[in-house]
Amino acid sequence: MDYYLSVATFAALNVILALGLNLISGFCGQVSLGHAAFYGLGAYAAALCSVAGLPFAVALLAGVLTAGAFGIVVGIAALRVREDFLAIVTMGVGFLFLGVVRKQDWLGAEMGIARIPSPLDKTGYALLAIGAAIALLLLSLHVRRSWMGRAFDAVAQDEDAARTIGIDVAGYKIAAFFLGTCAAGLAGGIYAHMTQLIVPDTFNFIQSITILAMVVIGGIGSSLGVVAGAVLLTLMPELFRFINDYKLLVYGALLLAVMRFSPEGLAGFVRRLTGWRPA
Amino acid sequence: MYYAELLLIGLVWGCTYALMALGLTLVYGLLRILHVAQATVFTLGAYVGLLVANHTGSLALAFVAAAFAAGVLGPLIYRLVYQPILDKPPFIALVASIGVLIAMEDGFRLMFGPYGLSFASNPWFTSTYSIGGMTLNVVQLWMVAAAVVLLSAFALFAARTRAGVAWRATVSDPAMAESFGVGVIGVRYTNFLIASVLAGIAGVLVGLLNNLVEPGMGSVISYKGLAIIVLGGLGSVPGTLVASLVLGVVESYGTVFLDKVMDRDAIAFLFLIVVLMVRPRGLLGKAH
Amino acid sequence: MSMKFRSTLMLAAALGAALAAPAAAQTIRIGFHAPLTGFAASDGKSALNGAELAVEQINAAGGVNGRKLELVVQDDQAKADQAVPLANKYIGEGLKIVISGSYSGPTRAAAGVFQQARIPYISSYAIHPDITRAGNYVFRTSFMGEVQGRAAGKFIGDVLKKKKVTLLTLNNDFGQALSAGFKEVAPKQGVQIASEYTYAMGDRQFGSIVASVKRDNPDVLYVSGYFFNGGPLVAQLRAGGVTAPIVGTEGFDTHNFIAIAKEAAEGVMITTSLDRDSSAPAMRKFIDDYEARFKTPADMVAASTNTAINVAAAALAKAGPDDTGKLRDAIAATRDFQVATGRISFNELGEIYKAAQIQIIKGGRFRHFATIDDPVLLAPPTK
Repeated sequence: MDYYLSVATFAALNVILALGLNLISGFCGQVSLGHAAFYGLGAYAAALCSVAGLPFAVALLAGVLTAGAFGIVVGIAALRVREDFLAIVTMGVGFLFLGVVRKQDWLGAEMGIARIPSPLDKTGYALLAIGAAIALLLLSLHVRRSWMGRAFDAVAQDEDAARTIGIDVAGYKIAAFFLGTCAAGLAGGIYAHMTQLIVPDTFNFIQSITILAMVVIGGIGSSLGVVAGAVLLTLMPELFRFINDYKLLVYGALLLAVMRFSPEGLAGFVRRLTGWRPA
Repeated sequence: MYYAELLLIGLVWGCTYALMALGLTLVYGLLRILHVAQATVFTLGAYVGLLVANHTGSLALAFVAAAFAAGVLGPLIYRLVYQPILDKPPFIALVASIGVLIAMEDGFRLMFGPYGLSFASNPWFTSTYSIGGMTLNVVQLWMVAAAVVLLSAFALFAARTRAGVAWRATVSDPAMAESFGVGVIGVRYTNFLIASVLAGIAGVLVGLLNNLVEPGMGSVISYKGLAIIVLGGLGSVPGTLVASLVLGVVESYGTVFLDKVMDRDAIAFLFLIVVLMVRPRGLLGKAH
Repeated sequence: MSMKFRSTLMLAAALGAALAAPAAAQTIRIGFHAPLTGFAASDGKSALNGAELAVEQINAAGGVNGRKLELVVQDDQAKADQAVPLANKYIGEGLKIVISGSYSGPTRAAAGVFQQARIPYISSYAIHPDITRAGNYVFRTSFMGEVQGRAAGKFIGDVLKKKKVTLLTLNNDFGQALSAGFKEVAPKQGVQIASEYTYAMGDRQFGSIVASVKRDNPDVLYVSGYFFNGGPLVAQLRAGGVTAPIVGTEGFDTHNFIAIAKEAAEGVMITTSLDRDSSAPAMRKFIDDYEARFKTPADMVAASTNTAINVAAAALAKAGPDDTGKLRDAIAATRDFQVATGRISFNELGEIYKAAQIQIIKGGRFRHFATIDDPVLLAPPTK
């Protein structure tokens, strides 16, 4: 039972991360290769608060807001550059976060932050994570249909055209980054309390790629697709025991195959099969 | 003296970066694709070179074999991975490329083991050459020489040969080039061939330099390579060369003086971000 | 397929199951997780080899009270988010004891899970101090990072009698812990730290560090890292004209280091727990059996996991696998147990004291150089 709970909790965390990235890259078209940095920012901020004795809720909030604040900064920086440049800049943000955090003694440097208090039990974390994931999914679906979602869409399709019809492109880009990174911060805060030890290397480029892979395999832009992608990639190591030694080979091949044959991911696949377009 | 030595080291590192980054810029310039999978070609070249060197004892043969293997793999990746998705948004190609990188890295581990391989005989591994009190490893000198030779050869190719002119035309304006009868497909294959051979040779050189060929050896240099081509101005060959050398020097000084503040990769990317905030098109980038 | 063939097949299957069943009930299952894929795969492979060898050796000697040991292996890719579900899986499958062959992040995360479930958990080589603080069910059979660093400090000051040292430290928990331990002890041994430079896990070119070391001109270098950084680094130092002696760490304790650095490896000393010249039977047996079994010389990671399995097996022999509380007590009571890495005795925290071995590379092989046996200096924390 505990095993399923812990798998479900991690799957839920991945869903939160993936939905957040989907907001930035899928809805608003801002390619971000550094999402793990915001995961890390949330984790560190929450961990510091908890270790200092602040209540759990405050710590989680701190995680969310810290990630969001840096998200705004990156969003502003993103205004200066486009597309491929943006992808590399966000990749750089990820490396910068990691490279700076691992040198700061007050952040635990390489040893990270340990003995983080754990106020919930396994079931508690599962409920929290899954609850947050569901809430975020509903939020995503709502945003998609709202005026904000349409504005995001316009920015993603053609930002110059969007600007000419009066859409505050800059504002929406920053908003997208803010929302998406807040989500990552929440996931980080939960993660820190669950595992009680956070180290810099957890939030590296490979993690950013993993989150991107979930989004892309699920179907970038489709909230339901992204949820499916996150769940699938979390379960894959567990489901396919026999590919254990070939795990990464399969994972890379899967990424490649999806991009090659169904670039719209699972959502696109479902759409072609049934005609229904998952939101 | 110390500062001069750091500068020299930075320039040498820059030459290594240049060999990788040039290939990336060639691919980007032509197809707007961030060819992260270049790392795979690099690593394959290194493994093939090492295995041939260890079996035959000939480094010359190793380089030839590496160039050959790389020259086959690169265009193959183009044909199987990129060509079918050229009409899709560019990040699709990027993610596909990342997929190739991840898969092949694990593939190398499965084929050759996780420990990495070393050269049985690495004649210049610890030989040094002194220039005015500063010492350089002989393999590093080979690296610089290779960079200079190969880059000059490429420059000559681009300026003087028919294929080179065709290539330049296609990069600048594919539709126009096609209407002038340039075989765009041929140009693409040539492009990948050149980029890959450069990477393959660089692989063997780096393998000799470190006396270590490992499954993951290409990744860091490939991601940094992306930073370099962006820094130089996407698609600009001179920009890439300048950026390679500049980054090498920045890292060389940075790793010593910013040691307590951030690590080497962070220094590189911070530099990139700062430059892009000031000049969003890169050092020598052109407006598209 | 035909009816006759099908019924024969079923009969064979039934027979097979019947024959296999009693044998299966006899094995004692030990959980074992390591980074078999991903960036840490080289350590994962060594870890698995060492553990498998231990199981084979123990089974060949009759097993544990007549029952054979069986390893239940999982890959955690050195990630905490893989290690936690996997820990829960082991618990769900009814395993009574688990060994970590992995790094600190995943080990600490899993330790919390095992402690809560009252399952004894032994960490083979992860260095983070917080691991054993997860609770009394968690043990560590290797040196903590700080302790190793202290041993190096004592060695350089007391044995080598050098005064001025430059530290070259790897940017990760291993490097940082070693450096901290070293700096704690160095002043007391009369060693002055001239400078410290750090480098990243993925670095293979160290030109700027070599230039800095030449300028600083220390009497000795203390280098932390793994074979894939240390090998090129040491080679580049020597090629750059640095002649000062180099003291490395157990991350270099593998012949891969020598294969990479070639002649530059000559004379390099390392702090470790493995002594190739040892006459201690347990250590000797491990070294010889490993080379025979895997056709390659043994390394420290393999020795660590081999040790952990042996400690587990000895406790199982005493307390049996059924009561995890008794099993935990049996492990905690381990005293002067001779294993591949020396003698194991646990303190209240589940940490060990043992002497540090200093090996030197001579003629392309690791040889004994010195032993640092100082129970006060190398004492691990007790809480």
